[in-house]
Amino acid sequence: MIRFLTRRRGATGDGHGWHWTDIATWVWLIGGTILMFGPAVWLVLSSFKTPAGLAEFPPTILPYAQETTMLGDQAKPLFEVTLEDGITVTMAELRRVGIVAQMVPPDQPDAEPLKININDRTPVRQMDFATENYTQPFLQFDFVLFLRNSVYVTVMATIITLLTNSMAAFALSKYEFRGRNAVMLLIVATLMVPLSVILVPLYSVVSAVGLINNLWGVILPTVATPTGVFLLRQYMLTIPDELLEAARMDHASEWQIYWRIVLPLAAPALAVLAIFSVVWRWNDFLWPLVVLSRRELYTLQIGLNSYAGELNVQWHFILAMTVVAMIPVVLVFVFLQRFITAGIAGTGLK
Amino acid sequence: MRPATSAGAVVTAPLRWLARATDVPLSAWQRLTGQRGMIALFLLPNMAIFGIFVLVPLVINLLYSTTGGTEFFLSDRPQVGADHYARLLDCGNYLDPNSCRDDMFWIAVSNTARFVFFQVAVMTLAALITALILNRALPGKGFWRAVFFFPVLLSPVVVGLIWKWILQRQGLANLFMVELGLEPVNWLTDRLWAFVAAVGVSVWAHMGFYTLILLAGLQAIPRDLYEAAEMDGTRPFRVFWRITLPLLMPNLLVVIVLSLIRAVQIFDEAYVLTGGGPGTSTMFMTQYIYEVGFANLLRNPGLAAAASILMACVLIVLTLLQLYLSRRSGAK
Amino acid sequence: MGAITLENIVKSFGAVEVIRDVSLDIPEGELVVFVGPSGCGKSTLLRLISGLDQPTSGHILIDGKDVTRVSAADRGLAMVFQSYALYPHMSVRQNMAFGLENTRMPKAEIASRIEEAARMLEIGPLLDRRPGQLSGGQRQRVAIGRAIVREPTAFLLDEPLSNLDAELRGTMRAELAALHGRLGKTMIYVTHDQIEAMTMADRIVVLRAGVVEQVDTPLNLFNKPANRFVAGFIGAPRMNFIEAEDGRVMGVRPQHLRLADGGLAVTVDMAENLGAETLIHARTDKDQPILALLPGQLTPTRGENLSLVHDPADEHWFGADGLRL
Repeated sequence: MIRFLTRRRGATGDGHGWHWTDIATWVWLIGGTILMFGPAVWLVLSSFKTPAGLAEFPPTILPYAQETTMLGDQAKPLFEVTLEDGITVTMAELRRVGIVAQMVPPDQPDAEPLKININDRTPVRQMDFATENYTQPFLQFDFVLFLRNSVYVTVMATIITLLTNSMAAFALSKYEFRGRNAVMLLIVATLMVPLSVILVPLYSVVSAVGLINNLWGVILPTVATPTGVFLLRQYMLTIPDELLEAARMDHASEWQIYWRIVLPLAAPALAVLAIFSVVWRWNDFLWPLVVLSRRELYTLQIGLNSYAGELNVQWHFILAMTVVAMIPVVLVFVFLQRFITAGIAGTGLK
Repeated sequence: MRPATSAGAVVTAPLRWLARATDVPLSAWQRLTGQRGMIALFLLPNMAIFGIFVLVPLVINLLYSTTGGTEFFLSDRPQVGADHYARLLDCGNYLDPNSCRDDMFWIAVSNTARFVFFQVAVMTLAALITALILNRALPGKGFWRAVFFFPVLLSPVVVGLIWKWILQRQGLANLFMVELGLEPVNWLTDRLWAFVAAVGVSVWAHMGFYTLILLAGLQAIPRDLYEAAEMDGTRPFRVFWRITLPLLMPNLLVVIVLSLIRAVQIFDEAYVLTGGGPGTSTMFMTQYIYEVGFANLLRNPGLAAAASILMACVLIVLTLLQLYLSRRSGAK
Repeated sequence: MGAITLENIVKSFGAVEVIRDVSLDIPEGELVVFVGPSGCGKSTLLRLISGLDQPTSGHILIDGKDVTRVSAADRGLAMVFQSYALYPHMSVRQNMAFGLENTRMPKAEIASRIEEAARMLEIGPLLDRRPGQLSGGQRQRVAIGRAIVREPTAFLLDEPLSNLDAELRGTMRAELAALHGRLGKTMIYVTHDQIEAMTMADRIVVLRAGVVEQVDTPLNLFNKPANRFVAGFIGAPRMNFIEAEDGRVMGVRPQHLRLADGGLAVTVDMAENLGAETLIHARTDKDQPILALLPGQLTPTRGENLSLVHDPADEHWFGADGLRL
């Protein structure tokens, strides 16, 4: 029993067989996996369903679509029909009136149609991925525009965040100057000022500088992150001062010391901040919602929310676009997960 | 080795060019102003942005909260003194929003308070159990840790939409209900269930982050303590109460306060999931501020500012608590 | 080229004076060692000369020119840091080239200087490695190489061997001395290790608490220490001090004591056998500790009484103020 509550005891393979805590562990882990990944997987599967498939209840796991056959120049749906004599055949529906369908065998389109009660037939279905859910928003909607806006905001904000935060962190970690503590205190204080607290006045400041309905109005207020300055400063403090002095004796200017010595050496911390900045800015919702009211400026998140808020909710498109919005974050997750988890454990930043 | 370095050179070449281009004017600046000038230069961009978009709004917020009207420019706004605060705080009985002059504000406050209580309690417990389990010697440790962390990175809009899709009338959740022989539930249109869904989805989305902090705390507990306890024949629950929990307490406190701070600000995923409804059953503080400040036709930025300052007071207390706790655990 | 003069240098950090009125003349081409216990200000003095720190008052002259307000980069000096301070993200070659590139030196010139230094220090095969891939001794050579390529008027070395193991330290010591002979440049070398000081220096500057106690050649320091501090600091094992009745103090080195009747009566505490010699820890009847380094392998027992004698010529006498009489 000690094994459940203490650490690093083998769940299996320590020769004692299975304990109830081992079973509880695996139930939790597997249940957790289903609960954590399941919704996203369900989203992806659903995103490939046709509107008809989405409306079904109970829903199928995989996307299916009814098979059709070409009769003349029209596609007609195929059904398995149980005839009065108990034989099951595949037939195509020509038209339907009430609960009666007129059907013909697909290889004899000109035969006399049989009148079949619709309860005596089941649709012939096959797995089918409705990729038009993905292609249509790209072609018809403003989706490409939203995507471009999101990428622009994310890339610009991340570059500026890295540059300005690292410059400030360098000054705050490698120079002694009067007022340094005051600056640090000021930055600590911002931790207490989340966006929701300054939402209204920030709007008026941004509108005063003319950046309402401008992507830079979304970018600029987010880049002076106190967490970024902290993370980088903490890391730069570990770079030995002797390196900077050696560079100074090597005729390096202060700017060169920053650029050529400190920045390359702070690369691991910069990478962590870059990852976080990308995720933060890609996911931002409330602030862009306030600043951007012109549809052509919407970021992906705002665009998605506006689609979901429309009267006639087109779930098949929304689901597909949600998947697209998820892709960059999933990529970051798959390739850089180790980096991020180490970063959080080390700094407690999110 | 070679190809890697030359690929690196492709990336660094423009950077190097940039460095050389910037070096000339900046070296001149250094000669002109010395080290002090350079310090100022390094600090300037960050502090300027910070000043304009954080400090100035902070000051303006106070002015906003004492002025009225629907205009955004301060000069167009008439003084109203403490009217907004008086309106917000005018209540017959603080536990009954209907007795208050601004009943929406108090509905938002009480919703937020209930949300914070349940969300923090459930999430902390779930994160603690998960961290304890992940701390065991499991095959594929990194994978399991990643599993629980995955939703943390998803955007609130994506989280909201995923769950909106699952919780809709004909969604996956009701499929399970039917399969289990239960009645389908109107997850998002029933007042109680919508609130439960908002709490549950928020726990789902953020739990992984706090699990990581707790896991780091657990891994910092020296292993020999457990071995010593085992040698003493200590019973496992006693080990948990007397060793694990006390040593994990600093991290646990940080997790609780940090999640409190975040929970008070709840907006994005709940807004996408329920839009604050049905009725006002999931309308929280930030949404109140947003709607009173912007979305409403009868918008009242001054009132929103006053509400945000009241919220800031709560957050400042919580943040100071967090700084105090993390400093104390850091000092140890 | 490379004569360095310090005039009345004072350096304080806040209220604490770490260098108190130091004046010093270092002629061209000399290898001078600053030695002293930790906290004596020897590294601070080196940093003042390098220009990384500014003196509170006083002047620093290089070849007669006042450089007190000249920046570190423009003094024409090169420094080898205790931690080597090699740029970890650059190869050995880039490390050596960095300072030269900053002065916009032609590429061919840089390459030939690196080639020359690499040959001299035998680090040619290491040029494309990163510092992280080098051993401690190799890093040390690279740090010296980085100083050499700059062709400085003088070299400043801040405890350059303190991060090496004892054996390597011995070899590097000899190599550094040889290098000094070959380059003929002024070198200022800071160490707390008096063996390094004794073996390498043309002249030694003994510092204590920010004050120069004595400046002289190694042998003069050993034979004629100017005061009790220098006498005790230079030479191992430490000199014995025996207080006379009149307040004066007589010093005699453990090496100069012999076993013979009729001398100083001492009681043995412990004996350390070093093989060729035996170091005896003993006490006089007035409970003053005495060290004696005696030839051969002796095995006195604890509490045994011995009698130690010495030549009067080996006596050092110090006044009550600590100064040599």
